[in-house]
Amino acid sequence: MISKARKVLDIRELATELPHIRYVDPEFVYINLTTERAKKYSLNVKKGDKVYLGQIIGERDGGFFKQPIYSTVSGEVTDITTKRHLEFVVIRNDYQDTYCETIVDRSDAMIDAMSKADMIDIIKNKSLVGLGGSAFPSYIKVNTDKEIETVVINAVECEPYLSSDYRLVKDQPEQIFKGLKYLMRVLNAKRGMIAVKKTKKELVEVLEREVQRFNKDSDISIAKLADYYPQGWEIEMFKNALGIKIPSGVLPMEYGVIAFNVSTCASVYDAVKHNLPITKRYLTVNGDAINFPQSIRVRVGTNVRDLIKLCDGYKEGIEKINVILGGPMMGEAVGTDDVVVTPTTTSVLVFKDVDYHEETCVRCASCVLSCPVDIQPVQIMNAVKRNDKKSVEYLAAKKCIECGLCAYVCTSKIHVTDYVRKGKQLIG
Amino acid sequence: MMQMIEKNSPHLRRPTASVVRMMSDVAIALTPLVAFAIYQHGLTAVWILLAAVLSMLGTEYIYYQIQDYKNKEKFKLCNKSFTIYNFTIIVSGLIYGLIIPDATPIIVVIIGGVFGVFFAKLVFGGMGQNIFNIAAFARVFIALAFGGAVAVSNYLPQVDGVAGATVLGDWVISPFAQNDNFSLMQMFTGIGLPGTIGETSVLLILVGGIYLFLRKSFDVFVPLTYIATMFILAFAVMLRQDLGLWYPLTHVLAGGVMFGAVFMATDPITIPVTRPGRIYFAFGVGVLTFVIRLFGNLPEGVVFAILIMNMFVPAIDYAKWSKNHFTLKSSLIFAGVIIVTILSVVVGANYVG
Repeated sequence: MISKARKVLDIRELATELPHIRYVDPEFVYINLTTERAKKYSLNVKKGDKVYLGQIIGERDGGFFKQPIYSTVSGEVTDITTKRHLEFVVIRNDYQDTYCETIVDRSDAMIDAMSKADMIDIIKNKSLVGLGGSAFPSYIKVNTDKEIETVVINAVECEPYLSSDYRLVKDQPEQIFKGLKYLMRVLNAKRGMIAVKKTKKELVEVLEREVQRFNKDSDISIAKLADYYPQGWEIEMFKNALGIKIPSGVLPMEYGVIAFNVSTCASVYDAVKHNLPITKRYLTVNGDAINFPQSIRVRVGTNVRDLIKLCDGYKEGIEKINVILGGPMMGEAVGTDDVVVTPTTTSVLVFKDVDYHEETCVRCASCVLSCPVDIQPVQIMNAVKRNDKKSVEYLAAKKCIECGLCAYVCTSKIHVTDYVRKGKQLIG
Repeated sequence: MMQMIEKNSPHLRRPTASVVRMMSDVAIALTPLVAFAIYQHGLTAVWILLAAVLSMLGTEYIYYQIQDYKNKEKFKLCNKSFTIYNFTIIVSGLIYGLIIPDATPIIVVIIGGVFGVFFAKLVFGGMGQNIFNIAAFARVFIALAFGGAVAVSNYLPQVDGVAGATVLGDWVISPFAQNDNFSLMQMFTGIGLPGTIGETSVLLILVGGIYLFLRKSFDVFVPLTYIATMFILAFAVMLRQDLGLWYPLTHVLAGGVMFGAVFMATDPITIPVTRPGRIYFAFGVGVLTFVIRLFGNLPEGVVFAILIMNMFVPAIDYAKWSKNHFTLKSSLIFAGVIIVTILSVVVGANYVG
């Protein structure tokens, strides 16, 4: 099939249609001490200590940023373990949810009196990060010195099979609007926008109802975008929502726009209003090898094994499975289900493992037609095979966003994305 | 025991993407033409098509068995390198068979098939590596090596008794003469038209092309550009030479343009990978076909044009300038090339005949 791929095979009806279930009280909660971005940490609790919900138990060091580590549950520290190269402190839940004494709500008058620097301080101290998957510290992003005109909230969720942002928008629209207002205040932005797929009719309905309440004193609008992959990539979103084309390698802030994931936006509200770090989030468990696909409200730090048990486990009679954290197009198959829900985990997908039979490339150029950044994956693949650095450079392999479409569309089932990744490494 | 796999993203693949689907679609699109060839030429067509397909298939089979033997591998009846599994060799064979004139001796067809698949495909490294279109290569080989034998039979209505007396054959002698023997309608349906066994029916070629377009098994921009180029050039010559609309229409309908555009110039392996590159390629094929027809000594230029443009594919795809979108610069250059081509063809047409 020689054609551009607009839509990716997507099965998320079950997870979006059914109401979400709550699973916020696991027996053990694992708090990650290191992340992919921050490899160093210091811990100021020890085994046997009693901790409260929202208590600072240490500090991560990511080189250019430092962020406090919060306990997301109240209980007793029992252990420090390592799972998949990341270190975790284990807390036994006492099911009391006793809040730390610093966690107090702010009144609206207090929030109104806050300065821009105060708000950035809150975002920094509550260790908020980009929840779309980047895990980039939000306070660095909002502390930009560029003049921002529009804040765009990304509720597109273009990855197939995912429904956690869907749930969030549907259940907590008010928090999103309030969070957006706080972000607009921090950034002195005049305009706010929530981008959502127009095919998600329920979300459009909810947002349009809510926007009536919030756009009286500020300019907030809904951008209804077409349903295709990768619509949620921020450059693509700006192009379709605002008509601003941002060349690759340039920060959107240069153009006066900034984007936040919808979960980040809600977490900003929680941090400013309730003084809470990220303690719970929506998560999708989906895939063709799971018995009961479901959206779940989970506590950050829950073991994925518990969640899979909650979804009736794996289907019988499947020999090989892929457990994927994140979406099927860009997520990572972790090779184990003994992993932990971190603030940036949007979903756990379990697929039957399919060994695709690779054939020789027939140069059908579906990858070239589909590429959202307008590069030629097949030519990069050929250049990588003959170790031709100059050609890889000419073909602008560094523009690649690793969206995975080239491998998705490949007629010969070649893993083109992997070759392009190698090409990116080749030119450094 | 369940095993959990560690893999790189993406974890999904397009269900409709497969080489077998693409190549079998081409084979399906060719079946009306095969049926028409057999209806028109009877057993002759059956023998030619069988010889074409089996000679290619057999060459490949023997080649890979010898390769296995040389590599000291155990003899297997079915080697995994055979391209019969994904229909490519059958498609090549069918296309090759369909562009052979009906009076061609079977032995010539077989020699062409063997040479074609060996020198155009196997020595380059098999499927996906070939530079030249296999069917076009085999066809040109027999046309050059056995010129006299590759001919159209005499049983069909003929003009002046010339072997290969198609409309285009006439134009070698008098380039702008209107041929009264065949109406445009006849050329469209292909009934009772002399020529190669499979190229004559434009109607059935269009049916195949529409099928391939609906199944998205070829790049529709290639045939469109090719046919548009042919038509526009012939139209420009028509205006200059004061001919009727029959002139450009005959150019498009007669001979192998339609067949070449739909089935040969779209072979993805031997064409560029970018959308503009494919348009340049198809434009080049169109210009070359027209130039060979008008100025050359040959009645037909489709296969030559395709083979010549195949050679330029690496140049079009050169990493430094290949882009999947038209830039301002490339569009200006391309527009300039189009204008220069039209002008030189129109001026050149004055000196023909």
